[in-house]
Amino acid sequence: MRWLLNIWRTLNKPAQYLTLGSVSVSAFLMGIIFWGGFNTALEATNTEAFCISCHGMESMPYQELQETVHWSNHSGVRATCPDCHVPHEWGRKMGRKIEASHDVWGWLLQSVNTPEKFEEKRLEMASREWKRFDRDNSLACKNCHNYDSMKWEDMSKLAQKQMKRAAELDQSCIDCHKGIAHKLPDMGTARAPELIAEVGSGVNGLEVDQSYFSALTKPLYFNEKTDVEAGTLNIATKVKVLALKGNRAKIGIDGWRKKIGAGRVIYYDFGLNILSAQLTKDAAFEEGVIQTFEEKEDPMTGLKWQRVEAVIWTDTDYLLSDLQPLWDYARSTYSTSCSVCHTQPDESHFDANTWPGMFQGMIAFVNMDQDTQALVQKYLQEHSSTFNKSAH
Amino acid sequence: MKRRDFLKGLVGTSYVVLSGSSVLAPLNALAASGAKASEGWLTTGSHFGAFKMKRKNGVIDQVIPFDRDKYPSDMINGVKGLVYNPSRVRYPMVRLDFLLKGHNSDTTQRGDFRFVRVTWDKALSLFKDSLDEVQTKYGPSGLHAGQTGWRATGQLHSSTSHMQRAVGMHGNFVKKVGDYSTGAGQTILPYILGSTEVYAQGTSWPLILENSKTIILWSNDPYKNLQVGWNAETHESYAYLAELKEKVAKGEIRVISIDPVVTKTQQYLGCEQLYVNPQTDVALMLGIAHEMVAKNLHDTKFIEGYSLGFDRFLPYIQGETDGVEKTPEWAAEITGVSAEIIRDLAKVMTKGRTQMLMGWCIQRQQHGEQPYWMAAVLATMTGQIGLPGGGISYGHHYSSIGVPSSGAAAPGAFPRNVDEDQKPLFDSNDFKGTSSTIPVARWIDAILEPGKTIDSNGSKVTFPDIKMMVFSGNNPWNHHQDRNRMKQAFQKLECVVTIDMNWTATCRFSDIVLPACTTFERNDIDVYGSYANRGVLAMQKMVEPLFDSLSDFEIFTRFARLMGKEKEYTRGMTEREWLNKLYSDCKNANAGKFDMPDFDAFWKEGYVHFGEGKPWTRHAAFREDPEINPLGTPSGLIEIFSRKIAQYQYDDCPGHPTWMEKSERSHGGPGSDKFPVWMQSCHPDKRLHSQMCESEAFRETYTVKGREPVYLNPDDAKKRGIKAGDVVRVFNDRGQLLAGAVVSNNFPKGVIRIHEGAWYGPVGEDGSKEGGAEIGALCSYGDPNTLTQDIGTSKLAQACSAYTCLVEFEKYQGKVPSVSSFSGPVEIAL
Amino acid sequence: MSTETAANPVNQARSTVYQLLSSLFAKEIDHKTLHELTSTQAQAFWSQLAAEADFKADVDVLVAEFAKLNSDKALLELAADYCGLFLVGTKHSASPYASLYLTSKSLTDKPVTKGDEPLLFGEQHQQMTQFLKQSQLQVQSEFPEPADHLAVILAYVAHINTHSSNQQQLQFIGDNLANWLGTFVAKVAKVDTGQFYIALAQLTLAWVKSDVEWLESES
Repeated sequence: MRWLLNIWRTLNKPAQYLTLGSVSVSAFLMGIIFWGGFNTALEATNTEAFCISCHGMESMPYQELQETVHWSNHSGVRATCPDCHVPHEWGRKMGRKIEASHDVWGWLLQSVNTPEKFEEKRLEMASREWKRFDRDNSLACKNCHNYDSMKWEDMSKLAQKQMKRAAELDQSCIDCHKGIAHKLPDMGTARAPELIAEVGSGVNGLEVDQSYFSALTKPLYFNEKTDVEAGTLNIATKVKVLALKGNRAKIGIDGWRKKIGAGRVIYYDFGLNILSAQLTKDAAFEEGVIQTFEEKEDPMTGLKWQRVEAVIWTDTDYLLSDLQPLWDYARSTYSTSCSVCHTQPDESHFDANTWPGMFQGMIAFVNMDQDTQALVQKYLQEHSSTFNKSAH
Repeated sequence: MKRRDFLKGLVGTSYVVLSGSSVLAPLNALAASGAKASEGWLTTGSHFGAFKMKRKNGVIDQVIPFDRDKYPSDMINGVKGLVYNPSRVRYPMVRLDFLLKGHNSDTTQRGDFRFVRVTWDKALSLFKDSLDEVQTKYGPSGLHAGQTGWRATGQLHSSTSHMQRAVGMHGNFVKKVGDYSTGAGQTILPYILGSTEVYAQGTSWPLILENSKTIILWSNDPYKNLQVGWNAETHESYAYLAELKEKVAKGEIRVISIDPVVTKTQQYLGCEQLYVNPQTDVALMLGIAHEMVAKNLHDTKFIEGYSLGFDRFLPYIQGETDGVEKTPEWAAEITGVSAEIIRDLAKVMTKGRTQMLMGWCIQRQQHGEQPYWMAAVLATMTGQIGLPGGGISYGHHYSSIGVPSSGAAAPGAFPRNVDEDQKPLFDSNDFKGTSSTIPVARWIDAILEPGKTIDSNGSKVTFPDIKMMVFSGNNPWNHHQDRNRMKQAFQKLECVVTIDMNWTATCRFSDIVLPACTTFERNDIDVYGSYANRGVLAMQKMVEPLFDSLSDFEIFTRFARLMGKEKEYTRGMTEREWLNKLYSDCKNANAGKFDMPDFDAFWKEGYVHFGEGKPWTRHAAFREDPEINPLGTPSGLIEIFSRKIAQYQYDDCPGHPTWMEKSERSHGGPGSDKFPVWMQSCHPDKRLHSQMCESEAFRETYTVKGREPVYLNPDDAKKRGIKAGDVVRVFNDRGQLLAGAVVSNNFPKGVIRIHEGAWYGPVGEDGSKEGGAEIGALCSYGDPNTLTQDIGTSKLAQACSAYTCLVEFEKYQGKVPSVSSFSGPVEIAL
Repeated sequence: MSTETAANPVNQARSTVYQLLSSLFAKEIDHKTLHELTSTQAQAFWSQLAAEADFKADVDVLVAEFAKLNSDKALLELAADYCGLFLVGTKHSASPYASLYLTSKSLTDKPVTKGDEPLLFGEQHQQMTQFLKQSQLQVQSEFPEPADHLAVILAYVAHINTHSSNQQQLQFIGDNLANWLGTFVAKVAKVDTGQFYIALAQLTLAWVKSDVEWLESES
């Protein structure tokens, strides 16, 4: 019941800590307290019963939890609502927590009182929780699951590989393990949810002069403020952060372009149709966006190519420090999805410029969203015979 | 009374004779009552169509089309005959000499020798022992488990996936690239149009019907070929063909079928036919291109903006590079099409919106890359690529291509690949300097000439020394060319394992044969509507697996158990759990876009419908902005001249489309003095390749004297004293077959047709079973691949060239042997 | 009536012969069966059977063939004969299914116009299933064959030998066995590359013929 005391303490803090929003929900909080106080006397330890009585949630998340290993397992340890959803180091931060989540309480009361409404809001609610887990690096998980005490030898090789890498980075658990205690929300139009679940939504705290890789196909912007799009950065593309302002990063994209049209498509390297970025015509002609260097003719097509560097802005999210997780995801997607009808060719069976034609010509029966398609194509190109001379 | 005494005499002696159990047992109460249970309609699907079935006394009784299939194929009438077929592989069997001598058996007996029944345990351990032996002695290059075919439908039990996953968990093996249907097309078109095209969704029919003025069906018979699909087919394309028929009648759309024969589609649509000499389509196209240039009909602006290399192609058209100007007159000489018509075609194609619809047959010939390339050039010259109802398609005869896609996600499948964290029992990747992947149609070459290096699509392939083959749901003794050459090759193999439901010729030439149950004896799910992806279909088990057959899932789960890897194989899930997972994954992928009920509700209903799709134009995005939406070619543009291909320096596939003479060609071409008749072996009208040929009663709806029909021109027949219904011997230096004559004006002089997929049934000279394995044996049923040539299309694709084939035929005078194709390995004429 | 029949040792003997024939058509001969078939008692049985002139030639062949089955290889060769005759064939070989010999099709050789008449598990299978059901019987689950398999029909005759009247037996044999057995046996004779199954088939035909005569004489 320590956390109840904490709420008391929070409420007893000077009023300047509380915004209007949190004052407006104080009735709700009082409800918890009174109910809680009453209940404490009756059933002092049953905390999940405490939660669900108000967060009725049509009992859905609660029922879902009961079907998972977090509820029932051979060790007999059970994770209940507060174990995951109430930060363990309450203390002085409580006021800020309530402040930050005042709206959660608000709509919980009104908006999710039917299963339909709940499903509608599930993604929103889950996203909040994921963000929270992300912020504290999945601390709630790590109270029980510690990287240091994991028994690697009991894991499969694949699991070992992935977990060890995660451990090295002290990665947030929720990056990969979403939807394990409750149903995954209907991601609707959310892009490449499985991919993002696998690789995470990007590094927190980008550093200037460091290189990163795009985890999705990202919009590009003319500056740190505008919402006018200047093009798109393709997935799995290396960029260098040149400056940071708020939620935007100024990035540099190195590559080559064909000297046809407006020259607004930037490729990975000379003569290779591996897409890095596409600029709008306006952006391509905007002073200072594209710096140009040497030119060469591609003997395979007779087209002139030119080395370029584009300097442009993008959002700070979905930038990864490591490319490998993207390739791992792409490899396993390729292996699963492209073997439904036939044996998938080895990556190195074709060269980088043949793969787009082969891949695009075969994807009719493949279930991949646009981002995943772009990723898998790029994976195939960058692991093709152009780069891997050993096989074949 | 003598008999009574005799019987009484028996009384004293008879009790002791038998201790074995009877084949009869007391009636089990459950079975007695159970027969009546769930005799309602069940839903399932097949390549031939989705349909419903009803049982009577535990046996499939009625078959009716799926509600949403408005143009069902009569092939579903053959389904019962597939299931209750006398050619069912009933028990696991092993060739006797192989059982006795293993890998040292007499392989010349393969094809006409003797099998014995064994238990599943025995058969699977023999299978595993053979794999052990090959991996130990030769390593992965000794095993080819990469030949795969059309299997039966169903995402969970897909036979090739199960076989390759399980065999892959044992060890690595030689794989294939490409396929027999579109080998040349899918290799050349990525260089030209930046995609395989043959397996890509095409411009929607509604847009074609709305915008096209002229449709050219080039060697294309969609009305015949759309009957079958890669998934559960629901035949939506036929509604559009019906609309097209109306528009043809009203004169709103002109449809020209360019083909040596009168096709089923042409007859249905009532459209024009333009006869062209077999294998000369490239010359015809060049003549048209010449005329377009001469009359300045081509769209130079489009060519400049969207393609590369026209300038390097033009000198060839004009005869500057080889001294031969490709005039309509020049083309007329080769093609049998008058110069006047060629000139008119150039005009027609460039005048209004023209949609070219290419069939697959013309790329299954020597230099099969060329007609596809040249057709793309013609479409480029019209300047209509990317316009609705214009440009070119290579797939509108296939699996509902052209029916707008629903946009939904289809269910996934049981994994074909070994899971990433798994290592095979034999983990060698040492292919001994030979290639681990070979072009699909070159495996017989590999067996016959191991170590030989050939050119293939810009690289070198060195043939591995293959000692063992594993086939599942695949009948290469149908689709590969030149049976007699195959026999020579098979004699070099130490072990052949085949898993199938009926005794195909591939089973007959195997050492271990394992009985898989049919699609209708297991539960599965599939997408229906193929490329339209119209919905998800429950494939509900109709009857328990017949005889000793098992589902593919069960066969390879047992095999994995032998390797101690059962859990790794199934991922610890049962058939039901897998179905549930495949469905739920699909439901999740569609969440928010397409409503899907939970699994139980879906299973009860039998299907989920995704609704209609939106019309779409192929290459429209490219046309709109070629810089942002480049093609997948090296330049991102249409490549009329390919520098990349040119730098391979292949004499049989130079840098631009080229007319090249064939090794055999009728109508005055090479070899026509000795064998004057061209044989086309196109996809059948009443089967899916060789699937369904064994369905007895259905087969009898089209056979002639119990043989596969051979379609003959009346004059050709008369000249040889042949009447309709006669048994005809068709032959060349490669082989001989018997077929039943159908005489028809739909076939021009010097052209015959025998549909591929006719089951191979070799017999000895006197029609007896001895000799079936002999080189040169007569095929008693009419398999056209007894006669076809086993050569690659070119150094580029190395694909099959079944259409480059000359033959002669005569009225068969000998004693007509009975058909031996549908009988398993022992066949006797009665 | 039926209890009287059941108690009749002659009928018991007849039943045993049908049962024996059924077993020999049901599966290949293995070491155990061979041991039983060549035991002292079995020898007495065979010589008693051979005492009947109609059976003698075939019984002699069978007994001689038993003697040759002295190795695994010999048994396998016989198993291969069995497989080729009864397990892999169609109507072109000697498949042991009544349906393949009784369809109107094979009698008249007219092409069937309806494209959906199955050849296995068809009408004869359904009929036999009904007969079995009436007698509270079914085909063993270890014998996954249609009910019109020769072994099932012979086993069923063995059953009715001790459960039905002579008249009923006569009728059943006439309607379901004797009407196709001759064609089947001719086919085996034509197809078999060995001696054993020709002799077995011919013995079966002779036995059924003589049994029918006996039943007629008794009625």
